[in-house]
Amino acid sequence: MTIQMSKFNTVLNGRPAAKEAILRIFQIVNGSIEKENVILDFSDVEILTPSYADELLRELKKKYNNKVEVINTSSMAADTMKAISD
Amino acid sequence: MDTTFDTIYKCEKVFCNHTINLSECGWLDPWTMGLICLKAVEYSAEKDRSIVLPKDIRMISYLKRMHLPTFLKELAYDQFLDPFDKKDISEKENFNIHEIVHCNFRDEFDGRLSSKIRPMFIGFNLKSDEERLATGLVAELGNNVFDHNAGFWPTDFSGAIIIAQHNPIKKQIEVAVADAGVGFMGSLRASRPDLKTHTDAILLGLSGTSGRIGENRGNGLKTIQDWTINKFNGIVRIHSGDGLVVVDKNGQKTSDVFPILGTLASFMLKY
Repeated sequence: MTIQMSKFNTVLNGRPAAKEAILRIFQIVNGSIEKENVILDFSDVEILTPSYADELLRELKKKYNNKVEVINTSSMAADTMKAISD
Repeated sequence: MDTTFDTIYKCEKVFCNHTINLSECGWLDPWTMGLICLKAVEYSAEKDRSIVLPKDIRMISYLKRMHLPTFLKELAYDQFLDPFDKKDISEKENFNIHEIVHCNFRDEFDGRLSSKIRPMFIGFNLKSDEERLATGLVAELGNNVFDHNAGFWPTDFSGAIIIAQHNPIKKQIEVAVADAGVGFMGSLRASRPDLKTHTDAILLGLSGTSGRIGENRGNGLKTIQDWTINKFNGIVRIHSGDGLVVVDKNGQKTSDVFPILGTLASFMLKY
């Protein structure tokens, strides 16, 4: 199941926005017949802040037992992913 | 005389007896503008509050270009603002000076990240990747303002105040984010009641400790330091209460300074 993150916004900022996206992703994934990983596609996302990424990934990994994959991160989004993993 | 981070803490006359005295001030950096905004909030409830404006008409233009009178009108300082009404300016006079952006609420702040802050950095000629990182820095500082003060503002004035300037000669951009909130001490005391000084509270916050008990968070300030210092060879400054901490590639420096209401944080980017 691939989630196109730019459909939430091209500027992904803050924990409240991430919490809203998480609830929406739960709905989308629960309605899917696929049993594969949840893939978060960040293509066309221009800005991803550490607070958004931390909230999003923490909750999704908790829900889907770490079967969450991140793809197509821009340079900035990759820096953010590195920051929250350090 | 230029009034900047390096001089403002030695100028005893600028903030005195509920008066903001700008009569002898020259160029003001975003840090000093942030202090002026916070002192204007602090003094706004005082009957004897006043503002002394510079006599130099160029300074009046400069302050008007930063929309200082608009900000001060929010705080009912109208009676001191006549010199601004007599001076017309062009908003396009200097793209390197950005107007004060006051966002009362988080939604307003989120919207302005795209509508004001990103175009500002593009106007400052940052490259695409740099602009995105710089916007991310403003976003994290602004998020902190609302995360730690929502529902708990000490006065009727709320929100994040953003001030930015670009110095193309020095190739530096400074962005200050001010809030008249509870400060580091007010936020962290809930989780660390043993905290004694504002400086200790700032240092604890910079280490990644959050005042939001029971939540996994607190890395925002660590990332702000990391990106500012390692990607821009820059400087992070934080003044909260009477504590001041400056962080750069050489480490942290602390000092005790005059108290402010809330927090003033800035990052200086060198490119």
